Amino acid sequence: MKEETSNNSRRKFLKSFGISVGAAGVVSSFSLIGAAKAAAKKPAEMVNLLTQDGQLVQVDKNQLRPTVNEPLDELQKRGREGIPGKSFVMVIDLSKCRNARKCMDACQNHHQLRADQHHINVLQMQDAEHTAPYFMPKPCQHCDNPPCTKVCPVDATFKRQDGIVLIDNERCIGCRFCIAACPYSARIFQWTEPKDAEKYKDLTYNIEANVPQKKGTVSKCLFSADRLREDKLPSCVSACPNGVYYFGDQNEDAVTNGTTGETVRFSKLIEENAGYTLMEELGTKPRVYYLPPKNRAFEFNGDLLNEENLH
Amino acid sequence: MKNTMKNIAALFLIFVFSGSVVNAQGWTVPASAKKKQNPYEATSKNISSGKKIYNIQCKSCHGDPTMANMLPLAPVAPTDLGAQNFLIQSDGEIFYKVNKGQGAMPAFEKTISDEDKWMVIAFLRSFDKNKKVKQQVAEVKNPEVTDVKLELNVNEADKTMLAKLSGVTKKGKRVGLQGIEMSFLVKRSFGYLDVSGEDPYTNESGDVQIQFPKDLPGDREGQVNMLVKVTDDAFYGNLEEKRVVTLGVPTDPVNPLDERAMWGTRANAPIWIIVTFVGGVLAIWSVIFLVLFQMIKLPKLAKSKD
Repeated sequence: MKEETSNNSRRKFLKSFGISVGAAGVVSSFSLIGAAKAAAKKPAEMVNLLTQDGQLVQVDKNQLRPTVNEPLDELQKRGREGIPGKSFVMVIDLSKCRNARKCMDACQNHHQLRADQHHINVLQMQDAEHTAPYFMPKPCQHCDNPPCTKVCPVDATFKRQDGIVLIDNERCIGCRFCIAACPYSARIFQWTEPKDAEKYKDLTYNIEANVPQKKGTVSKCLFSADRLREDKLPSCVSACPNGVYYFGDQNEDAVTNGTTGETVRFSKLIEENAGYTLMEELGTKPRVYYLPPKNRAFEFNGDLLNEENLH
Repeated sequence: MKNTMKNIAALFLIFVFSGSVVNAQGWTVPASAKKKQNPYEATSKNISSGKKIYNIQCKSCHGDPTMANMLPLAPVAPTDLGAQNFLIQSDGEIFYKVNKGQGAMPAFEKTISDEDKWMVIAFLRSFDKNKKVKQQVAEVKNPEVTDVKLELNVNEADKTMLAKLSGVTKKGKRVGLQGIEMSFLVKRSFGYLDVSGEDPYTNESGDVQIQFPKDLPGDREGQVNMLVKVTDDAFYGNLEEKRVVTLGVPTDPVNPLDERAMWGTRANAPIWIIVTFVGGVLAIWSVIFLVLFQMIKLPKLAKSKD
């Protein structure tokens, strides 16, 4: 007996549930149709719109739909893929660097960084006690065997087909493993709210420029990947007043000086000037090459910091 | 109104003169350096290569000679290097100043070779009204021509290019133009690579032949975009010819992502890492489950023992 009653009650419940759901569905569909009809009938306001070919047309206001706004996905997709057929390299001629720091300014401007945050930093170097000091701009080396991407637990930092190593700040969880792994200290962490965060809060995130910067994530030099897409040289390269930087495509065996615009053979430049890479013993295979500070382009008397007319 | 105009004019003049005085006083050149003479003749060749170097190294600040379109720097703007009051100086004086630099003017002692500097000086001298007559000795003896044409012949077998520059004389005859410098440029991502070689000047029949570098990469089919032009557009205006030629070495761009590597993302991880990781996870979980099942069995075992 007991079991029967419980059965009955379950049936009753299911019945009433089914009826109520069905009724709700019918009512809501009626109301939807009604609303649609009302919208169609209403002579509504007309809006004047200018078409792409310059004609002024009137459109029913009810027909207007917001444009599909998903540029983020597109940016993320192409940022992950990179530019096919390219293999970007940079050559830095140390004999010409006189610490003008225009590269740093341009970079910080491009990537919305504060003055104390560096994607590229000009370091004062002295290799040993009796060797001559020199200035060394140091961007991310965009290694062909990058230690940073190996340690990322969430696939946020990666290498693209054109050789550039990027960070996806949308994925980055801020664990900073990559900062620890990078032997060149090329990466920075956004500890606080980034510069102009309020101003750029509505900007669509661009993975190829790391802008707007995101608090609690890692950021670094990107070879200005967004500018390369427009066939422009990276910000630092074109900002240098002293002809320090060469940038180009290794597949084409040509690099272009950002200051003079002169294009030279990459292999010859490296070969004739004894070009080298930083910490090659680590096997990271950097894409940034350095030319030694020989035959300086400026008067040099051994004391870089007290040098006059350096810039 | 007149007065204010006069005042402004006077102020302007004072400013200009004081500027030049400061310039002249502030930059002393040793007498030995002043005596130096340009060892290179003012031939059209030298002048045009001087112009090339000038456009790369000097133009960004000094502007075009005689045009006074220099960069407006304060407090002292760069001098118009085609102005007569600049060209009063001896070759040696200019050479010294280019070498040493002063203030915003960089020292070019080591960045430009001496030869190049003399070429630039030869180029600047061509604007000197006092010496111009002497320099018109230039070797261009081309007749006045119209309808100047640039023809291009590409020999893909031995990778040479032949450019022919010709024009129609007043008599209606087409003749080659001699002694004109040509530029052979290969388009690269961010600029043009000059492959003109040492002596890209047209000969008596208006021909110039260059050897294309044998090891310069092209695209997959070895194609490159060439731009051939008359280097100095002062002669016949901007005369150029664009052509896609198959002279480069066919190059297949390597995609580093084709290979599985340690640095790759999840999708590109090496097989052995995936196998080891998945194997490890499975092994550990299976041990845990094994232990759990054994523990579940314990009470049953205890019962059956009873």
